[in-house]
Amino acid sequence: MTANAPGQVCLMQGNEAIVRGAVEAGINFAASYPGSPSSQVLGMLGKIARERGFYAEWSTNEVCALQACTGASLANGRALCVVKQNGLLCTADALHCAAQAGVKGGLVIVSSDDPSAHSSTNEFDSRWQAMSAGIPLLEPTTMQEAKDMIPYAFELSEKVGQLVLIRVTTRVCHGRGNVTLGPLPEKPRALERVREWDRMVCVSYMHGPALQKLESLRECFETSPCNHYEGPEAPKKLIIAGGTGRLYGQEALRRLGVDKETGFLSLGTLWPLPESYILKRLRSAEEVLILEEVDPFLERAVQALAGREGLRVKFLGRDNALPAVGELDPDVVTSAICALTGAALPEKKPTGELELPVREMSFCAGCPHRATFYLLKRAMRQEKHPGVVVGDIGCYFMAGQSAGQYAWQTCNCMGSGVNVAEGLGQLTNYGLDQKVVTMCGDSTFFHTILPGLVNATYHNANMLLIVLDNSATAMTGFQPHPGTGLTAMGDHVKPMDIPKILDAVGCKVEVADPFDVVEAEKTLRWMLDQPGMNVLIMRQPCATLMTKERSKKPVRVYVDQDVCIGDGCGCDKYCSRVWGCPGNTWDFKKNKALIDPVTCVGCGVCAKLCPSGAIKVEGGEEA
Amino acid sequence: MLSTIALDTQVLRPGLCTGCGACQGLCPYWGSVDGRTVCFFDCERTDGRCQRFCPRMPTDLDALRKQFFPEDTILPEIGPFRGLYLTRAADESIRAKAQHGGSMTALVELALKEGFLDAAVLTRSRGGLNPEGVLATTPEEVRACSGSSFQVPPTLAVLNQALKENKYHSIGVAGTPCKTLAVYKMKANPLPENDNHAGNIGMVFGLFCGWGLDWDGLNALAAKHADPAKVSHMDIPPSKYHSLELREDGETVSVNLDEVTPLVRSGCRYCADMTAEFADLSIGGARSADGWDVDKGWNQIIVRSEKGQQLLDLAREKGVLEFKDAMEGGLEKLKKASLGKKRTAVRNLRELTGRPDDLGYLNPNRELFQDL
Repeated sequence: MTANAPGQVCLMQGNEAIVRGAVEAGINFAASYPGSPSSQVLGMLGKIARERGFYAEWSTNEVCALQACTGASLANGRALCVVKQNGLLCTADALHCAAQAGVKGGLVIVSSDDPSAHSSTNEFDSRWQAMSAGIPLLEPTTMQEAKDMIPYAFELSEKVGQLVLIRVTTRVCHGRGNVTLGPLPEKPRALERVREWDRMVCVSYMHGPALQKLESLRECFETSPCNHYEGPEAPKKLIIAGGTGRLYGQEALRRLGVDKETGFLSLGTLWPLPESYILKRLRSAEEVLILEEVDPFLERAVQALAGREGLRVKFLGRDNALPAVGELDPDVVTSAICALTGAALPEKKPTGELELPVREMSFCAGCPHRATFYLLKRAMRQEKHPGVVVGDIGCYFMAGQSAGQYAWQTCNCMGSGVNVAEGLGQLTNYGLDQKVVTMCGDSTFFHTILPGLVNATYHNANMLLIVLDNSATAMTGFQPHPGTGLTAMGDHVKPMDIPKILDAVGCKVEVADPFDVVEAEKTLRWMLDQPGMNVLIMRQPCATLMTKERSKKPVRVYVDQDVCIGDGCGCDKYCSRVWGCPGNTWDFKKNKALIDPVTCVGCGVCAKLCPSGAIKVEGGEEA
Repeated sequence: MLSTIALDTQVLRPGLCTGCGACQGLCPYWGSVDGRTVCFFDCERTDGRCQRFCPRMPTDLDALRKQFFPEDTILPEIGPFRGLYLTRAADESIRAKAQHGGSMTALVELALKEGFLDAAVLTRSRGGLNPEGVLATTPEEVRACSGSSFQVPPTLAVLNQALKENKYHSIGVAGTPCKTLAVYKMKANPLPENDNHAGNIGMVFGLFCGWGLDWDGLNALAAKHADPAKVSHMDIPPSKYHSLELREDGETVSVNLDEVTPLVRSGCRYCADMTAEFADLSIGGARSADGWDVDKGWNQIIVRSEKGQQLLDLAREKGVLEFKDAMEGGLEKLKKASLGKKRTAVRNLRELTGRPDDLGYLNPNRELFQDL
């Protein structure tokens, strides 16, 4: 990653290519909040930051990250901000203000979108933010481009004094490809003292200059090396592609044998649109297919361009030839190209007859969240009018499914839980006779819960916030957060104490261990009965973290099948079916419960819940 | 239908549940909070003891009765009958804490001492508010359960647990009619694959019952008229008094019955059994020509089985109970009152189902009830 070996070809993951690009750009500053699919970028930057003489941090949230980057830019530093689509939306105000104010040192935002929402709750399209904020937008397709676009974006940023957004998608972040390395700068860009009359201010009269910056970039993009065209000089059928759709499209054209007669325009600079470059091919075209991930961003922009120029072109894209939602793949792109070119759709080879079983996402074996949501469901069912549970974003998002006993009725975005619950909690004074519960993880607590916590406590909402304190940002891969006492650069610092913060805010606080099921349920039910703002900290470290930290399991958990009553009346597979830990499996031959010794991490909670006492814990105390 | 869903849709949601606890103590799916039966999680079995034991799931009462009692002892109004007695505990210390005459406490204690039983599942009234089921194995534990409550706690959950443990082999049960019916359903072993050691059920002591009250409602009512922590006794005198009496620090507070009747548990409106027809002995407050001031210190007992007769005879022989002559026409009065409850139940069930020929859980014996 830090080898100064120009010309060397390396196999790199997209996220690694982004890191290499940042190193080649000689960044001074990097900040991020973890979010799939680009979580690895800052983790890697943090590890090499000292060696390369820059600063890197896991910020408390994306707003902190972007605004810290604008600070670095004011001192002429090159700053890289890495977010996912939701994180970019978190920064919306900061982004729009920064765009109006402009930048001094280059400021590049890498925003990773997740088409089909593989690791997200949604497949929002980051690109609209570039259009909305009026900043340039690039999108790489290959790993090489992912690397090359970073230094290119910094140059553009400094050339016109504006932020640059680079949009990547899951397949770019996680795919692997050859990358030819460029030279490394000797040292990062020189910082400059902020002078008395330096200004980077968001004021309304900067709107015009900001638009001029964008216009001047259009000129650059007309001749940008990021855009390519292959095909006839004046194509009748034209494909315009941005992002991963390009590779699927090129592959399909060759496979269908229609690559010679079809024009293929690949765009790496998506906004502002290189209009003349596009019009050169668009003017002759009768039909145009647009390939892009998620929303019809290019499609709308090119349609507007064609309309303005009075061209009569038939458009194929997300509106008709492609599915309106979800990730592109070679199959859907092939059939869209058949629709464009009239080529016959090749017969698909039949897939195997064996169908994979449908499996829901679930909490890991030994996950403390499973116990918390098991107890929460029991507690809610014990209420005279079952309560309302508001979800939030983290591993515990899965609590909406069987893993968490279908815990919640609503879930919005990170940090929303406490606020949605506050609204409901206030209405309990106006006739809503239900208990109101929400939850957040410890990382989310710092990310966006704090203002909502202050709001709910100050206004004395009747509600319970459960803080699922597992000492980790587990969902995205154990990045440090302010509660962990670690930083992205590996420094040990003083961890923030959540109970102390809560205490200072002034809400009622209790701490329980979700593995101590009897006591934790008592505490939970007691707290549900307390008026005002209550916070219950469910403290038990993440099972995956624990497994990483210890060399062997503390205990052996097994089923005494002579005692187990299996699916008989009185149990009905309580461990594997209701408790649902992946470690609790089923012996189909004997019709009895079984524990998978490989998956089981030895938390021993299922032994406490077994109605027949058939699950035994051997060696040492139960967890 | 899945067992938990069957009970939820046929018993809980229509408001038929009595809170007896027959579905509880068997598995991790059912529990109880403040008298409310709670399903924690769904069971996916299509058949189970919960729905087989529930006294509000359809039951062929006639067949069940004939399985356990000789046909010639069965009276249509009050069930199996071998005699009606007026009794009270001879031991004054029992009477001092008793609801009425303390006969139940004295009989259960005697049954334990004489080996009729090795344990008894009883209800600790706790002064009448928020009672709980207990497993008593000593005379002291039995005596701690003196006195009644107008809430029905899930006592049978304790029975189910005790049977499951299989530690005691002749467990007596005292309870309201809904509970004793459930106990006889248990004795009939309706789910052969898992009998839950039903053979360990010993004698069954029934309590006369008009209705039970909603837990939250009664707590709120008690708090309105007294300090709930200090309430030591509750009673309902004969109907002409039209009141519920609370005893607080030795003082009696009278609450107008109009405040109480809206709090009657929904499930009790559909109950067709006043005298606990499924029992060895059924015990209630006495009604005699001597008037309430005397009657409230006495019980009336219906003997229903041979074993019940043996225990009562032994109580007489050992001087554990005092007897007095039953009131003339007492049996007729009891039959009339019992019939009245049956008619009300049938009326309310028709209203619930919306069809005159649909008596809900009583349908298996529709012909016995519909012409009442």
